[in-house]
Amino acid sequence: MNRKSLLLLVASLAFVCVNVDAQNQCIVCHESQDDTPSKLFKHDIHSTKGISCADCHGGNKNAEEMDEGMSKKAGFIGVPKGDNISAMCAKCHSSEERMKHFGAHIPLGQLENLQLSVHGKLSTSGKNRIVQCPTCHNAHGIVSPKNPASPVYALNVVKTCTQCHANAAFMRSYDPGMPIDQLDKYRSSVHGIRNAKGDPKTATCSQCHGSHDIRSAKDAKSRVYPTNVPGTCAHCHSDSVLMKQYGIPADQYTKYARSVHGKLLLEKKDVSAPACNSCHGNHGAAPPGVESVSKVCGTCHALNADLFAASPHKKAFDQNHFPECETCHGNHDIVSPTKDFLGTSATAICGRCHTAAKSVKGFTAANAMRSMADSLDDVETAAITLINDAEQKGMEVSEAKFKLRDVRQARLQSKTAVHAFDLQKFRTVLDKGMTTAALVKTEGKQAVDEYYFRRYGLGIATIIISILALSLYLFIKRLERRQAKKADIM
Amino acid sequence: MNERFKLDDLVHFMGKKYVPVHRHSLWYYFGGVSLFLFIIQVCTGILLLFYYKGSETLAFESIQFIMAKVHFGWLIRSIHSWTANLFILTVLIHMFSVFFEKAYRKPRELTWLTGMFMFFLALAFGFSGYLLPWNELAFFATKVGTEITGVVPVVGKPLLVLLRGGEDVTGATLSRFFGFHVAVFPGIFVTLLAIHLLLVQRQGMSEPLHFGELDEKDQKTMPFFPNFLLRDLLLWLLVLNLLAILAVFFPWELGKKADAFASAPAGIKPEWYFLFMFQSLKYIPGTLWIMDGEVFGVGLFGIAGLLWLLVPFWDRKSSRGEKNKLINIIGLGVVIYVITLTILGWLS
Repeated sequence: MNRKSLLLLVASLAFVCVNVDAQNQCIVCHESQDDTPSKLFKHDIHSTKGISCADCHGGNKNAEEMDEGMSKKAGFIGVPKGDNISAMCAKCHSSEERMKHFGAHIPLGQLENLQLSVHGKLSTSGKNRIVQCPTCHNAHGIVSPKNPASPVYALNVVKTCTQCHANAAFMRSYDPGMPIDQLDKYRSSVHGIRNAKGDPKTATCSQCHGSHDIRSAKDAKSRVYPTNVPGTCAHCHSDSVLMKQYGIPADQYTKYARSVHGKLLLEKKDVSAPACNSCHGNHGAAPPGVESVSKVCGTCHALNADLFAASPHKKAFDQNHFPECETCHGNHDIVSPTKDFLGTSATAICGRCHTAAKSVKGFTAANAMRSMADSLDDVETAAITLINDAEQKGMEVSEAKFKLRDVRQARLQSKTAVHAFDLQKFRTVLDKGMTTAALVKTEGKQAVDEYYFRRYGLGIATIIISILALSLYLFIKRLERRQAKKADIM
Repeated sequence: MNERFKLDDLVHFMGKKYVPVHRHSLWYYFGGVSLFLFIIQVCTGILLLFYYKGSETLAFESIQFIMAKVHFGWLIRSIHSWTANLFILTVLIHMFSVFFEKAYRKPRELTWLTGMFMFFLALAFGFSGYLLPWNELAFFATKVGTEITGVVPVVGKPLLVLLRGGEDVTGATLSRFFGFHVAVFPGIFVTLLAIHLLLVQRQGMSEPLHFGELDEKDQKTMPFFPNFLLRDLLLWLLVLNLLAILAVFFPWELGKKADAFASAPAGIKPEWYFLFMFQSLKYIPGTLWIMDGEVFGVGLFGIAGLLWLLVPFWDRKSSRGEKNKLINIIGLGVVIYVITLTILGWLS
């Protein structure tokens, strides 16, 4: 390269540099004053896409003079305030055309979702919404959520959320009843522990609560509303590829959905039925240990848990490290218990431990309990058949039908009483049902007998009335014949 | 007995009474059948009163008790309910037969008026008795029925409050209806019945218009006693048997207990004898010219009922013993209208 050519190259580079500086006069000035936002913005994803300071703040980014560049005439608006901040972001983020222009494939409805979310409520000042985009994403230096530097990156999002949610004074101003210990619980959970160890795949706040569309847990559309919880958990826990990495089965949701709890919650929409978090906890989610299973189940099935705790099984289960309720009922796929659980048949649960060879006493008791439960079922079925028959025949059996409730109640109570694993207690409960069922059966039989009595009675009454009517008819005919004869004579 | 009560005089009196015999004689029996059914109603009603409790909390349960626990309670209640319906049917037939035979004509205007008032009372008996079991259907039917009363201009609202014992159908309505059903209505009814029967005895059976034109030998009659009375008895026996069959094969259902907070069952309808009016009101538009459609309908039925009641006074031709085809046409029109609207109401 000759000297002339070198001079031309240097001049060209100088021109380019001067020209570039001329296009970013905001950065030039703000950097010279050691301004943090301008430093951060240099690494901001927006900056790399060619978006300048003036695109958000207005003004003339090319003007060399501050007065000219930051003049109202040049459209300078300064720092956007309140809801204008999010509105400024939405100018591009809600515009399909602009997002396409920048080659971004981000959903367009973030602002709408945010406004509908629990964070879209008005702040205590009553003027602006609680959360604006920069609250979670920062204002300058915004990077992709997949970037570890992002405050909403999987390993950072918990810290971002808890800046407010672990702040008692701040949360009190919105919801004094809302707990602020979510972070502590989360850190004690399996998810939190793995997250703290740097695993970005484990659940964080946004995995369960959503991001822009976070709704109150009482809102039926919330991802953590009771009926939606199993689906939310299943989002990860039914992902067999993901779960394989942790050695966890991915069939819990399938099992739960067909369980008695799952049917109640998912099909009948009974929000009092347990969801995943009812047993595992929510922020402090972890599998219950062998020791705590009965405590977990016992929060709802208190009577069963108490009876079990006082039963001879308690000691045996503890010694053998059997998880208490789970041993007989399973965990995720718990079905409604039937009398088939009792006894020593192939389908019975008692027989799994109480074999004739190993445990004669338990074997005998299990068979006796099954036999008693079968007897109640037989008497109840016979009573129901008779009552239905009588009702179908038009008989008044409402009182007997009402008594059938007591039989059903006894049968339900027997399902609880069985947890005492005491034959005498079980018999006491069943005997109440047996006595009532026998009474209903008698009343049903009486009603059916009464039905036939009425028909036979009607038959006899009809014969008597018919004889009377016929006699009367014949008498009238005879009388009229006599009267006619008498008239003829006269 | 004869010495004490002079029964011969009574037999002699009745033996002197004659009932005209002609091709329409059959209709004479419906008065007697109606009387028989009324007697059954009084007897079964008294028996039900032994156990029935006319309060909001106990009415339904007391009927349940009658049906399930009282010996033959089911029979008494079913017969009472079926008789109520048959009574209105036979009274209707009796009324129309009198209308078509023009038996209301002079000198029997008062007999017609007392009969018509008894017919209105029979409807009132049915309406008030329907609520007494305090079941779901009765509750809502009474609500709808009394609401219609409320649309009568001027007196409607006070009448509605008087009937219901307040703004809504409550336990107060039940107590009121019970009182009307077992005390007020029977008192008035028995008085009217006594006058009606006295007039029938005094004036005898009405003869058809053409009867007087016949030769004396062609004017067939039969003695009231014993011939007509025995035939009446024969029919009463058959009616009694019919009631027993209905009660055994179609026991009157009790349904569900009334719940003021429950929604009205779908397709709720009044009893069959009110159905033609109910169906007619459904066909009348909401507003007719400047008048409320329902007010217009109720007013129209009121005027029609009044004209029907006063027929002896405006049908002068029949009173003069002349034939009046217009009456037959009106009567036939009314019969066709009532039957058609009742069927339409039943099917809707």
